Parts: sequence; C-alpha cells; structure tokens
Amino acid sequence: MFSVLATILAPLAISFNLIHPVAQGANLLPLLSTMIIVPVIAALLILISPEQWSKWISLAAASFELGLGIKLFLIFDRVASGFQFVEDISWLKNLGISYILGVDGMSALMVLLVTCVYFAGALISWNISMRKKEYFVYFSLLVGGVAGAYESLDLFFFFLFYEFAVLPMYLLVGIWGTGRKEYAAMKLTVYLLAGSAFMLVGFLAIYFTSNVHTFDIRALSDVATTGLSPSFQNTWFPLLFVGFGVISALFPFHTWSPDGYGSAPTAASMLHAGVLKSLGGYSIIRVALPLLPDGAKTWLPYLAILALINMLYAAIVALKQKDFKYVIAYSSVSHCGTILFGICTLEAAGLNGAVIQTFSHGIVAAMTFALVGTVYGKAHTRELAKLGGLAACMPVLGALFVAAAMANVGLPGLSGFVGEFLVFLGSYRSGFHGGFPIFQALFPIGVVAIVLTAIYYLRLVQIVFFGGIKDPHFKEEVKDGSFVEILPIAFLLIVSLAVGLYPKPFVDMSNLSIAPLIDHIGGFK
Amino acid sequence: MIQYQAFLPEIWLVGAAFLVLIFELFYKSNSDRGLLKAVAVVGVVGALLSLGCELGCVSGGCPVQACCSMGTTVPTAFGGFLKTDALAAFFKLIILLATLLTLLISFRYFKANPTFYVAEFIAIILFSAAGASVLTSAQEIITLYVALETLTISSYLLAAFMKKDKSSNEAGMKYLLLGAFSSALLLFGFSYLYGFTGTTVIADIGKALATQVSSPLLTLAVIMIVAGLAFKISLAPFHMWTPDVYEGSPTPVTAFLSVASKTAGFAAFVRLFWVGLSVPALQPTWIGLFAVLAVLSIILGNLEALPQRNIKRLMAYSSIAQAGYISAGFLAGGQLGLTAVLFYLFVYLFANMSVFLAIAIVNGKTGTDQIEDYAGIWKRSPLIGVVLLVGLLSLAGVPPFAGFSGKWYLFGAAISKGYTWIALVGMIFSVVSLYYYLQVARQALVSEPKDPSPIEMNWVERAVLVISVVFIVTLGFWPTPVMQMAQTAASSLFN
Repeated sequence: MFSVLATILAPLAISFNLIHPVAQGANLLPLLSTMIIVPVIAALLILISPEQWSKWISLAAASFELGLGIKLFLIFDRVASGFQFVEDISWLKNLGISYILGVDGMSALMVLLVTCVYFAGALISWNISMRKKEYFVYFSLLVGGVAGAYESLDLFFFFLFYEFAVLPMYLLVGIWGTGRKEYAAMKLTVYLLAGSAFMLVGFLAIYFTSNVHTFDIRALSDVATTGLSPSFQNTWFPLLFVGFGVISALFPFHTWSPDGYGSAPTAASMLHAGVLKSLGGYSIIRVALPLLPDGAKTWLPYLAILALINMLYAAIVALKQKDFKYVIAYSSVSHCGTILFGICTLEAAGLNGAVIQTFSHGIVAAMTFALVGTVYGKAHTRELAKLGGLAACMPVLGALFVAAAMANVGLPGLSGFVGEFLVFLGSYRSGFHGGFPIFQALFPIGVVAIVLTAIYYLRLVQIVFFGGIKDPHFKEEVKDGSFVEILPIAFLLIVSLAVGLYPKPFVDMSNLSIAPLIDHIGGFK
Repeated sequence: MIQYQAFLPEIWLVGAAFLVLIFELFYKSNSDRGLLKAVAVVGVVGALLSLGCELGCVSGGCPVQACCSMGTTVPTAFGGFLKTDALAAFFKLIILLATLLTLLISFRYFKANPTFYVAEFIAIILFSAAGASVLTSAQEIITLYVALETLTISSYLLAAFMKKDKSSNEAGMKYLLLGAFSSALLLFGFSYLYGFTGTTVIADIGKALATQVSSPLLTLAVIMIVAGLAFKISLAPFHMWTPDVYEGSPTPVTAFLSVASKTAGFAAFVRLFWVGLSVPALQPTWIGLFAVLAVLSIILGNLEALPQRNIKRLMAYSSIAQAGYISAGFLAGGQLGLTAVLFYLFVYLFANMSVFLAIAIVNGKTGTDQIEDYAGIWKRSPLIGVVLLVGLLSLAGVPPFAGFSGKWYLFGAAISKGYTWIALVGMIFSVVSLYYYLQVARQALVSEPKDPSPIEMNWVERAVLVISVVFIVTLGFWPTPVMQMAQTAASSLFN
C-alpha cells in the first residue's frame, strides 16, 4: 500500500513542480508535448524493463501525467481567450501541415479528463496477469494518442493521433477482453475507422477548397477568410458530423459500443468510454462547427433527432439488458446522445452543457466501468440473474456503486446534473428553426430519457447489490475491494463531486471556448 | 560521347550477374555458394552507391569531387534515349532496394527449399532488376519496351523457378501467356503512336500530338497502351493472373514482382503519359480510363482479399488494391500527384518487403503460407509479430505508420484535382482492407500458438526487419526528408 502511494505521490509532486506557474512563456519543457511524450516514453520503458516493473512504471507515468493535467488546469489563464501553451513547428511547409499543439478552455478540460482516467485506469489494471508487458505498452500508447488528439490544432495531426489511439484499443480488446472479444474488437475498429474515412476525405476537401491552404484549425475557423461556399458546407457538414459521431456512438452507428465495452478489459472500457468516445463531441465543436457554420445551421436541427434517438433508444435498450456491463455500455451511449443533443442546440448554455457533460460522462463512465470490472473480478459473473445482495459482502464497493449510479442519473451535487441541466436549458433557449421551435418541442422527450436512466440504474442497484444473496459462495468468497481497487474509484468520485458541487471553474473554462464560438457563428434565429 | 554515368547502376547489376554465372562453374553441386551471394549483394550495393554518387553530383552535394567528372549535368546516353534524371534515380532507388531485399529473402528461401540453381536464380533476379532500372531512364518507346521485356521475361522464368512444384509451373505458364498477350497489346499501341507522330522519342511524341485532334485510332492506341501496362502493375480488370502467380511463385519472386515490377510499371506510366500523352486531345480519355481502373482495383482488390486463407494470395489482392490507390495519385498528376506516387511507392517498398521477409522466415520454419498457421507468432518470434502488425497496418494506411502519410498525399492529390469520389471510395475500402490485414495481425498477436517452438533468424534478417519497422514508423511521423526527395524527383519531369 505504501509503495503504491509512494509511486503515485512522488511523480505527482515532481511533475506538479516541474512547470512554474509564473514563467509561462519560459518553460523548460513544452507542457503539451510532454503530455504526449510521457506515455510513449513509459511504453518504451515498459518494453525494455522486466515484466514485474510494468505496472509500476505505468502507474508512475500516469501519476506524472495527472500532475501535469492538474497543473495545466490550475495555471490556465482564465481571462485571455484563444489558445494557450501553443507549440507551432512547421512540418511540411508546402502542404500546409504543421505540428501545432495548443489548448483553450474546452481542450484543457478534456486533457484534465484524460489524465484523470489514465491515472484511474493504471490503478485498475493493477491485477492484470496475462501478457502484462504488452498490456501496459498498448495502454500507455493509447493514452499518448488520445492526449495528442485533444491537444492538436492541425487537422493532419489531429487525425494521426486519433487513429493512433484506435489501434492499441483493438489489441487491448482482442487480447485481454472477455466473451466474443475478437468479434467486438474488429467491429469497434472497423466502425471507428469507417467514421474516420469520412473525416480524412472531409479534411482534405476543406484544405483544397479553402483559400488559406493550411490544416491549421485556427486559420480555418473563420469562414470569411476560408471562403467555403454554403453548398460545400452543406455537403460536408453532415458527413463530418457522422464521421465524428461514430466515435460518440451516434445512432444508428452505435452498435460497436455495447459489444466493444462488453468485451473490453476494464481499463480499456474506461479509457474508451471516458476519453476516446468524448473525442466525437469534442471534434464536432472544435472542427465541424467553426469550419462549416452554414452547414451546421442547415443540418443540426435534423441531426438533433438522431441524438435524441440515441438518448431514448439506448436508455430503453439498457432497461432490458441481462448483462451488468451491457447496461453500463448502453447507458454510456445514451449519455453521449445528451452531449450530441447539447451541441445541436447551437446555443451557449447547450454547448457548455455538452462540454461539461462530456467531462462528467468521461469521469462517471470510467468510474462505473471500474466498478463493474472490480465486481466482475470478484463475483466471476456479470449475469444479472446470478448476481444479488452483494452489498452485504462488499459494502464499500456497494456504496461507491450507488454514488456512481446517482452520478449517472444526474443527481444534483454530482457532475452529471450540471451537464444535463445546461443541455436542457440550452435547448429551451435555442432559437427557432424555420419558424418552428424544434428544440423546445424535442427536449421534453429528452427528459423522458433521464427518467429511464433513473429506472435502469435503480434496477441495477437493486438487483446487484441489494436483496438476498443469490449465490451462497458469495458470502464466503467475495470480499470487499482492496486499497488499489477502491482508490481509483474514490478518486473519480471526488472529481465528479467537485464538478457537481462547485461547477463554476469548469463552466467558466468551457465558456472561454464556447462564447467566442457562438459569437462567431451565431445560433438559430 | 556516351556518358556512362547514365547507366552505371545497370553496369553493376549486369556485371554482377555475369560474375555469378562464371563463378558458378567452379562450384561443386552441393556447396553453399557463399561467394555468389556476396557477389550479388556487392553488385546491388555498388549500383546503389553509383546511383547515390550520381544523384549527389547532379544536385551539387557530392563530397567526393573526383567522381563528378561531368559537373552537375544530368547524364544522358545513346543520343538521349537514356537519361537518368532525378525521377529515374528515385525509381531506381526503389528498384535497387527491392532487389537487395529480394536477394536477402531468396537466401532464406533457398535454405528451406534447396535447389541446384542458386546461381541462375540470382543472375536472373539481377538481369530483371537491370531491365527495370533501364526502364526508368528510358526516354524512347523502343528502349522502354525492350527494358520492360527484359524485366518481364526474366520474371516468367523466376515465377516458374521451382520446376518440380506444380503451382510454380502454373504460375510461370499463366504469367507467360497473359504477359505475352499484354506485351503484344502494348507494342501494338506503340506502333500506332509511331504511325501518328513519326518518332519514338517520348518528348517528341508529346510535341507532335500537341496539335493533333482526337481520333478513334489514337484513342484505340491509348487504350491498348493502358491495357498493356495495367497488366504489368495488375490493375483490375487486368489483375486475373496476380493471385495465382503470387501464390505459386517462390516467395522472393513474389516480393520482387510486387515491388520492383510494379515500380517499373509506374515509371513507364509516368513518363509515357505525363510526358508523351499529356496533350489536350488525349488527356481526358486516359485520365477517365485510369479513374475507372483505379476504382475497380480498389474495390475488387479489397473485396477479393477478404476471404483469402493464404497469406501470399492475400498479399496479391492487397497489391492490386495498392496499385489502385497509387493510380489515384497518378491520375491527379502534376507536382503534387507525382510526389505522392513516389512517396507512396517508397513506403510501399518497406512495408511489402518486410512483410514478405517475415513470410519467408515463417515459411522456412513451418513450411506453410496459411494464415491460420501464423497463430501465436508473437510467442515464437516477437519481432515477426511486430513486423506483421506494422507492415500490414502501414499498407492499410493506419497512423502512425508511413502508409498513412502516403495515403494522405495520394488522396489529397486526387481531391485537389476534383476526384473527391475516388478518394472517398479509396478511404472506405481502406477500412475494408483493415479487416483482412487485421485478421493476419490477430492471428499473429492475439491467438495462442499451436506449436510454441521459437522461429530463428540470422542477424542480417533481424537487422533488416528492425530497420524496416523503424523506417515505417519514422516516415509516418517525419516524412519530410523523403518527401523532399520525391518532390525534387517529380519536378524533374516538368523541367
């Protein structure tokens, strides 16, 4: 226990003190690149060091990264708008590709999310026993890819990092998964890369059609200079939206998600649901909206219907699941619907809600998957019919699960509430589309999904943790979580509580990106 | 005066081939012929060095001034029939590297499949490499045709080299029959071109045709030339021979066909079409033809690869699809398109060659090419597992591997000329390709081995595999140096 704490605290302290708050311009290390390189270096170190060191190196790297993430959150300048900590290195000049990293309020939040989930995932993976070395290599590389995708301000590198993250996921699910793992891994990979095929062609089309000839998102974000015609935008916006939406499990392209999460090893589901999935909504706000605003205004009211189906349909499906993890997986799909719906409102509160919900869903989904994984590891079954009364054998995990369920449901005081509230506020405030109050008409249906979420989570809590103990073996064999199992879950719960109780710094940060965006593109009239 | 620098690499290759044949006379039938292998490698390395020296001289960056007797002029020989400009040099670089790796694969292959004809095999490989190499600098259609035939006739022999093996015989016979037919088509097309223009020099053909209006006969000539050459690079629907030939030929030959032969085919395409036939009367015709061929190859190659069980057949269909992707960049043309083609061919060289070397090593141990027998390679040889993953995913165009940057440029070039639909088809079918590439990677990395005995390899093979992997990953993140080379090469066509 003490060695674990030391492995966490020492790197945390080092990284936290590495970058001095005042000397922002004069950092020895470029903060953002460091955050991409740390996991990659960890992967290389794991590769060359003995197998029993793997998890320690991985944890140390994750703690180091967490320190950087918190630091970034704290020293982020909340007054200035625009991108901060920008690194800009010309890469292929005549093709307009540069290695540009930078964060604004929204991406700083996402980077913090990545580091939190990375840290929790490294701890949850503590008891991996099969092919340890490879596991931690892929796990670390995955984080490096996701961190890069959130920090990139160049479409080429954005795409590169995004797909870079998909590949280790294939192996993590395929090798360390459970059930129909190879099928699930293949399905997940093919779906995500099919979505990205549209992204790639869309990016190239934007590059060659625009007047600025660059892949720099900052330069492309102004339609007045890029000169992308409305008809071009109307063609490409839905394709890009769907391309990004596939990652966020947009209906009807969501089916990879339950199978993928059902089969993935715990830490992989956490990272996937927590951070990779969030990339979809994030990229719509980062790329699709500012680059193609006219297309957005044409299409978003219709796409909102897809998002609404996501929320409602996935919630209904979750009600009927027989597998513990599948309920959580569908719940995650349903929550992503909320995020996409918030984006579709094209209103400041709605978009802020989407960002906060993305952050919250990342933390909460990671926490819930961690709990499911831990319970599965102890009870050796995920079938709801065989589970029951576990709260008696694992009181702490039971309590944490109730908290996680409440966070999913959106109980005030936990992070889920803030995001959902803002999304619905946004849809209420959103303008009319073609004289019709489409969002005002749609959002009561969305509220139904919240009720359904409450029903299936309460059902889950009741079946799994309360009632009589179904299996007599549980009483003797199933123990409560150990320190390394409780720690990551408790950590995520604290983050969720922090957002729920004092959302102001988070919403302010998100608004730093959202307010100028809405100013620039305008909402529905 | 003949500037021998224009064909110095070919002198090395042919010289080495003759030396190999002469030295063979002094060997007893069952010795291991180490000297022959050394001579062949020295020949190819010498060719590479002379190529590098020539490139350095032309660009003014050669450290040894003594070897630059001609200053910075581009070496030209035989009245301008051969001209080794930067474009030719880039193609030659790919072909020579492919030849070197083919030799390496063949040494491994002959250890597993002993034959008495090592010297002949090596010599024919060197001859066909020389043919491919001459082809890249040919400025005239007869030279081009003769060089192409040197390459393909050698290839027929190589494909049928395992004369006691039925499938190798089948491969050779099939290749010969269809290849001869396509060569005839090509020559027929060339004869029309000569009839129309009265010259065989490609640049003069371009000038003569510039004022010509489109006529049915001219269109027919173009169609025949496209068909004849499309066969060589196995573009659908002229791809029927590919799977059988790739499967039946000895593995080194398959590797050679898939890289060197294809590169030579594209070299011929680039010169003929972007110099000779790039005229208003004809350009829409052949660009349209290529668009159809590219899309067909991408669709058919990828779909037919899906059910394959034999890794060499899989690579055959994969190479058809790859030819389709490259054609998308080729038909876009211009500086951007040709740079993309060159860069992609360079990347393709490393990805394909490293995979074929891995196939040869695995085959040497297990004696099979079935994908299911690749189960658990990660346990038997982690390096081969990594090579299969990196090489195949680079072919699939997944970042951070070099194939991704390559596809980005190819499809970017296509989109810049308005062929967005080709890029879209290409990307969607890249996802399809991912399925079959991942099936191999899945066997190699996910499954448990049936027979856990380790697979050995010697240090040269290990080094080559490691270098290839490092190259593929580095070029994915940092393609700039190779891109610059490719840009220089592409721009030399337009000067």
